[in-house]
Amino acid sequence: MAFLPLIKAVLFAAIGFAVGAGATTGLRNLLGMEPWSTEPVVTMGYVFALIGWLLGVGLWDAWAREWFGKQPKEPLHEGWARFLRFSTDHKVIGVQYLVTMVVIMLLAGALSLLMRVELAAPGQTIMGASDFNTTMSLHGIMMIAVAVATVMGGFANFFVPLMIGAEDVAFPRINAMSYWIVPPVAVLLLATPLMGGFDTGWTAYPPLSVLNASGQLLFLLAFLTFGVSSILGGLNFLATIIMLRAPGMSWGRLPIFVWSIFSAALISLTATQSVALGLLTVILDRVAGTSFYNAAEGGNALLYEHVFWFYSHPAVYIMILPAFGIALEMLTHFSRKPLFAYKWVVASLLTVVGLSYIVWAHHLFTSGMGDYLHLPFMVTTELISIPTGMVFLSGLGTIWQGRLWLKTPMLFALGFLMNFVIGGVTGIFLADVPTDINLQDTYFVVAHFHYTIMGGEIFAILGALYYWFPKMSGRSYNEALGVVHFWWLFLSYNVTFISMFWVGILGMPRRVADYPANMADANLFVTVASFVLGASFLVFAGNLLYSWIKGPVASANPWKARTLEWQTSSPPPLENFPSEPTVVGSPYGYGVAGSVHARLAPAGGSKEQDGQS
Amino acid sequence: MLELLIVPWNLFPLAAAEEAAVVDNAFKLLMVLATPVFALVVVTVIYSMLRFRRRGEPTEDGPAIHGPRSVILAWLTVTTGLTILMIITPGITGLRELRAHASEAPDLLVQVQGGRWFWKVTYPEYGVSSTKELVLPVGKRARFEVSAMDVLHSFWIPAFRVKIDAVPGKITTTYATPDTLGSYDDDEHMRIQCAELCGLGHSVMRLSVRVVTEDEFKAWIAESTAK
Amino acid sequence: MAFAARAPAPSHREERAHPHKSRLGINRLGLWLFLLSDSVFFGVLLSTRYYLQGVRTPEEVSQPLGLVLTSVLLLSSLTAYRAETSAVHGNQAGFRRNTLFTILLGALFIVGVGVEWALAFSHFPPDTGYGTVLFTTTGIHAFHVVTGLIALAVVFRLGKDGRYSKGNFWPAEGVVKYWHFVDVAWVFIYPTLYLVG
Ligand code: HEA
Ligand code: HEA
Ligand code: CUA
Ligand SMILES: [Cu+2]
Repeated sequence: MAFLPLIKAVLFAAIGFAVGAGATTGLRNLLGMEPWSTEPVVTMGYVFALIGWLLGVGLWDAWAREWFGKQPKEPLHEGWARFLRFSTDHKVIGVQYLVTMVVIMLLAGALSLLMRVELAAPGQTIMGASDFNTTMSLHGIMMIAVAVATVMGGFANFFVPLMIGAEDVAFPRINAMSYWIVPPVAVLLLATPLMGGFDTGWTAYPPLSVLNASGQLLFLLAFLTFGVSSILGGLNFLATIIMLRAPGMSWGRLPIFVWSIFSAALISLTATQSVALGLLTVILDRVAGTSFYNAAEGGNALLYEHVFWFYSHPAVYIMILPAFGIALEMLTHFSRKPLFAYKWVVASLLTVVGLSYIVWAHHLFTSGMGDYLHLPFMVTTELISIPTGMVFLSGLGTIWQGRLWLKTPMLFALGFLMNFVIGGVTGIFLADVPTDINLQDTYFVVAHFHYTIMGGEIFAILGALYYWFPKMSGRSYNEALGVVHFWWLFLSYNVTFISMFWVGILGMPRRVADYPANMADANLFVTVASFVLGASFLVFAGNLLYSWIKGPVASANPWKARTLEWQTSSPPPLENFPSEPTVVGSPYGYGVAGSVHARLAPAGGSKEQDGQS
Repeated sequence: MLELLIVPWNLFPLAAAEEAAVVDNAFKLLMVLATPVFALVVVTVIYSMLRFRRRGEPTEDGPAIHGPRSVILAWLTVTTGLTILMIITPGITGLRELRAHASEAPDLLVQVQGGRWFWKVTYPEYGVSSTKELVLPVGKRARFEVSAMDVLHSFWIPAFRVKIDAVPGKITTTYATPDTLGSYDDDEHMRIQCAELCGLGHSVMRLSVRVVTEDEFKAWIAESTAK
Repeated sequence: MAFAARAPAPSHREERAHPHKSRLGINRLGLWLFLLSDSVFFGVLLSTRYYLQGVRTPEEVSQPLGLVLTSVLLLSSLTAYRAETSAVHGNQAGFRRNTLFTILLGALFIVGVGVEWALAFSHFPPDTGYGTVLFTTTGIHAFHVVTGLIALAVVFRLGKDGRYSKGNFWPAEGVVKYWHFVDVAWVFIYPTLYLVG
């Protein structure tokens, strides 16, 4: 039975919930409190349900048995059923993440279209303010989850071990656990409307988030759980990259994608703890009656704002650094040229990591924090242009005089450069205090971050899905449809979101269901454009779904690329390579006579073979 | 005046306060500085797509250019210079202009309270308050002391380009010197708009703003006191 | 060493994945990374106290109790250290004895926190400013102590079968390192809650 582990997991979760909820009511009774109180009971019920879910889905069999002196069971490694259970194979986990995240992205995209319908005209069109707030908040947090986990969970899982010549990640079971934590997060978020929704946006600022409907609690628990998953993911990739590089894979030979994951993992490991604490304090205020955000008792909403952005600003680099890695990776292979200024790019990625911790208060320029903080945060924020600019120099230098092979992934990489520069420079408008005082909380900000996240990261992700599709599925996608998707998306995307800058300058506040009539035309225009944009995803979904099932079989290295993942079969075998590769040179030695990245000894034989095409 | 060449159309909505001019000028200056950066990237990408494109399978590699030091250092110098320029102007200069009068006594004090979902403005010097409109005398520098009754709100007047959050348990301040007569009825930007999500009524948490002459203001105060 | 030789591997991937890379080294690195991450959590937690309450500590905070709690926990670090050394040298009896001491001291600490909470409840309940900080900080720390106790119990139970030897002591080492970390966290919490101001 393919679904057995899932059924078991749901059952265990239900038992867990009953245990947690029962224990809480019992304890409350014992302490002389009103036994039933929804939020504390749901919170404890959820904690136990999560544990039950994880044990049921495979944590018990594959791991916890060991703690009781028993032999753990070997997970399934063959057949499609392995995707539905606790697999410790990084490639399976990578696919699990990618499929989950693409589905969530489409759902969240569909929510944004609902939102756009409501915004098409002033006054109420299809939903009231309450539903709008929930829709908007769900769209935001689901997309943020997609942006944080698609690359770190999906592509990094599948490709980092392959690219460094390892057989798996450092902690395969923790890896599986960080994936299986995600489905409960999705369930919680989708359940929020059942408990009154939540109307705080993805940032969940108290005191509103302490006072509103119980849907907020589910959101807080979901975000917190998701944080745990990201921390574990970050830990795993750091350990993997530090410890498991194949012989000869020195730091100077690491593909840039691996470096970008290394940088993002550093942030994910450390900064995430800060938001975890922020969310926890709000939960405590709700369920335990503490006073973190109760002004009458000395509580202070600014505490949350600082703690939240101390994570959430670095988090935007968890999103974009891997996108830089992906884009540069594709640019160099499809230009047939070495990566321009490799060492400088590596240094820049690490510089961004360092700076990312000291810029958070640029989200607080209008928050009422001390005025003396404006200048330093403006300065640190704008300094990030310098290392980011280096990434651009590398991209442009790489394509210059190259032999450009404009396949779909390459188009997306080039589109990334054009979109992200808009997102980046408009970031400067926001980092600049005088302009931000006006633009903060307007559609200018909305346009800025859709340019960085969607135009930047999502474009890179879509490019990567096409780029690595043959490797992951063993089949080729339809190139013509890929190109159609790119142009359709690129044009409709830019029309939609450029207009949002305009709407923002006109003075349209964000997170509103209704607005004064002077902005009606502009909003209608955006709504129409967003539907054209949404439709482009049908081409994408159709192409990849069909190709996954029926596409022509792909060769091991359709792009003639030099990195290690292309030197093994498509899809790779369980142990990744027939024998452990030995790295002897740069992955980007295009145009360098005699340059070889790695040698692989064929299984059983001793004859050496070039890792190159 | 170079700015006007690059941003020829009037991008901005009604500006009705001295602060608005500072903010809009900062925006324009940033447009001037950002446009070449944007153009450089887009032009290079499009040029390369047309000029260096190869159809069919690639049969050869490009030249092995690893990144000449001179190019890298030149780029670093230019981007660093540009960044520093942006920090200095409009950043530091703009901040200085906005705060130029911070230490001077304001001409008028207005206490603004945000609650779900309304604004209440009080003129403590006159003992007058209103939940219907904010009336300000033209040319007078007003100090706004903003507070919140329940959750976070944000006091924003689009036509003035000033914004400050209303935080429970705290008083935050901002200043504006209206320089154009007008009201919400003439232009929608003459309003206080809540700019921090505060729940159900957030979108419509607005209050009309009316900038009047000093005499009209006096008259309005007198009339409100009488009521 | 050929990969192929390991292909039909019997045990699960955790051991199988990396033939020539020291599993011990990987585990140690993983633990240190985890502790680094967790210390950010404690760091932010402690800053909330200063952010919300400044450096004012109420009179009613029980100084003798704070001192006792700190001593108990520091003592437990000592026994934990001895347990680890015993495990590394394959000294089964020493390992069991010291682990048991550590568990007992840890449990005593939890009882102490219970007393602390009972006392605190009358002076500053959790819905007051200082109560919020005190209950949250000690609660989160106590949660770490409890997880440490569970982990100690697991290695104690496994160690009964004489499992830890010179070459195989990672679980004991890992748990003890974690225990030290929890102690060090308290070393920062103690002055923050009891001494400043
Ligand atoms: C992937 C995500 C991502 C990325 C990469 C960025 C990158 C940047 N962001 Fe953005 N940002 C968001 C996602 C992102 N942001 C989100 C989601 C929000 C809103 C959150 C919310 O409130 O919901 C936000 C909000 C936000 C704000 C707060 C706005 C407000 O609410 O008032 C600010 C203010 O400083 C800001 C600034 C910047 C800056 C300066 C960068 C820089 O890193 C950009 C650097 C890049 C370049 C500058 C371009 C390339 C450089 C060159 C070609 C060199 C030459 C250029 C110059 C010298 C200028 N962002
Ligand atoms: C990864 C990040 C990401 C992405 C890709 C998007 C994509 C889009 N976003 Fe979103 N957005 C955010 C992240 C993102 N957004 C965040 C973080 C916020 C802030 C929330 C907050 O303030 O708290 C936000 C807020 C936000 C707002 C502001 C809401 C407000 O402030 O009131 C708007 C308004 O237009 C908007 C629109 C859109 C649109 C039209 C798209 C389009 O690009 C979507 C394209 C469409 C699709 C991808 C769907 C296509 C699918 C189908 C047609 C198939 C049918 C579907 C199924 C089978 C289920 N977004
Ligand atoms: Cu008040 Cu939004
Ligand atoms: Cu930021």
